[in-house]
Amino acid sequence: MLQQLILNGIIAGSIYALIAIGFSVIYRTVKFFNLAHGIVYTAGAYFAYTLTISLHLNIILSFFLSIIFAALLGIAIDRCFYYPLRKKSASNMIFLLASFGVFIFLQNLIQLIYGAQILTIRTGPVKEGHHLCGAVITDIQILILVVSSLLLVILWLFIQKSKLGKAMRAVSDDPIAANVVGINPERIIMTSFVIGSALAGAAGILISYETNIEPTMGFSAILKGIIASIIGGIGSIPGAVLGAFFLGLAENLGIWKISAGWKDCIAFAILIIFLLIRPWGFLGTKTEKEKI
Amino acid sequence: MEYILHILVIACIYIILTLSLNLIVGYTGLPALGHAAFSCIGAYTSSLLALNAGLSPWIGLFTGDCVAAISGIVIGYPAVRLKGDYLALATFGLGVIVYSIAKNWVSLTRGPMGLPGIPGFSVAGFQLSGIWSYLLLVLVFVAITIFIINRIVNSPFGRILRSIREDEIASESLGKDTTRYKLLVFIIGAFFAGIAGSLYSHYITFIDPSSFTLIESITILLMVIFGGMGRISGSIVGAIILVVFPELLRFLGMPSSIAAPMRQMIYGLLLIFLMIKRPQGIMGVYRFK
Repeated sequence: MLQQLILNGIIAGSIYALIAIGFSVIYRTVKFFNLAHGIVYTAGAYFAYTLTISLHLNIILSFFLSIIFAALLGIAIDRCFYYPLRKKSASNMIFLLASFGVFIFLQNLIQLIYGAQILTIRTGPVKEGHHLCGAVITDIQILILVVSSLLLVILWLFIQKSKLGKAMRAVSDDPIAANVVGINPERIIMTSFVIGSALAGAAGILISYETNIEPTMGFSAILKGIIASIIGGIGSIPGAVLGAFFLGLAENLGIWKISAGWKDCIAFAILIIFLLIRPWGFLGTKTEKEKI
Repeated sequence: MEYILHILVIACIYIILTLSLNLIVGYTGLPALGHAAFSCIGAYTSSLLALNAGLSPWIGLFTGDCVAAISGIVIGYPAVRLKGDYLALATFGLGVIVYSIAKNWVSLTRGPMGLPGIPGFSVAGFQLSGIWSYLLLVLVFVAITIFIINRIVNSPFGRILRSIREDEIASESLGKDTTRYKLLVFIIGAFFAGIAGSLYSHYITFIDPSSFTLIESITILLMVIFGGMGRISGSIVGAIILVVFPELLRFLGMPSSIAAPMRQMIYGLLLIFLMIKRPQGIMGVYRFK
């Protein structure tokens, strides 16, 4: 039982990590809590559903197409809604509420198109999983672990090594100085929305292979992503990974003795404890504390 | 006619909620996103006392408010120590925690099955059964709420709240214990939200956790922003318009499976539109900093 809970925690953690990193990449350049990130995750799952089930595309092709669509959705949200706000240099809270408006709008749009019921991509019969140190792991869960760690490594290399990644770090550290040396902030913001949304979309697609999908799935996901980013240290990418796995494990070990309905409660209790005791998170710098 | 009166009763309950949130958000400038949690606590306390202990709804109403006010201390205590986005997120989280307690503590709240058969109010031995009498009762409470909140915001206490909103450091430098004032505002707001929740539960006679979700909190916040931040008349107008307007969708002959998401979509678009074009609302005096 314990081994199974730990394994479930790691799998949940790897999905949270994808969401949290996508969220952090966007947060680093725009510096607000982008709640609409959660709807990109939902949309990723629904893109995959449409392409695989309705259009009968190959599953690998539909995986990559859905990621591209998710990235395009991210850019579209930024251009349509956040760009006008940036032009007015609106405050963080206004951005946050606008992104919540985007979230509510798109979630209900999805519900209008696909209906409120749960859908599933899985076609064939459910296969029995592999036994591993007293726990059971399915093929799809292995796929989730492999793909998410692969994406994390690629992202890390991109941010650390590539020129665009360096420019992104520069904008995140000091947008004005970055502008002075000739980095176009709008271009960097667009890049961060592409990467962040692609990661959220990938998380949504992966989870759609594992469980059922429904229009409201993005809400809990983005909240977990934000909590993971905060307890890891907001804006820090290794922190987001650490926070995500910590959260996934804490949630799944927490429901050892109580019913699974309390997961959200556990997650937010952890968040509030962190906000009061260590608001800059595991790996965050103390300078962030001044804003809290 | 019944239907129109029903909409009016619901609008009045939302006016109480909107006014109490406006005190926290519009007058003190604290972006609280979990207001439905307080009305949830008020509604459940009041209904459980009436159902399990057989107490009069009036006692339930009073106890429900007090429990909601106490929860205002519990929720406000961590929240007021944070700023801006983090305060929003913490109140958000506390809203989720209250919601999941209502949903998962099945032995007490019956969870998603909800509490049916909550008794209505009675005045001097007469059961309030007609919708007219209910409207009258709710209007009395709206009048009391408007009166008290108006007195609060125009008192020296209200002036301190506005000074916290405009410049917290400046009001601290004048010796005001801003944390204490912010906590007090949370308690007052929670108290009135508890009244609204209790009135709602005894009017509908059925409650379940789905009436107190985060979307509900955001709807109340949208009413505050739409009408006008930091203005009482704004809250009244905002609540009435946003309760009545979505009902018009019903007259267009939409089935409820389309009308419900449609209503949420309109709310979402309205929120985006307000944030881009007019973040202080129709007649507001404050926008989020």
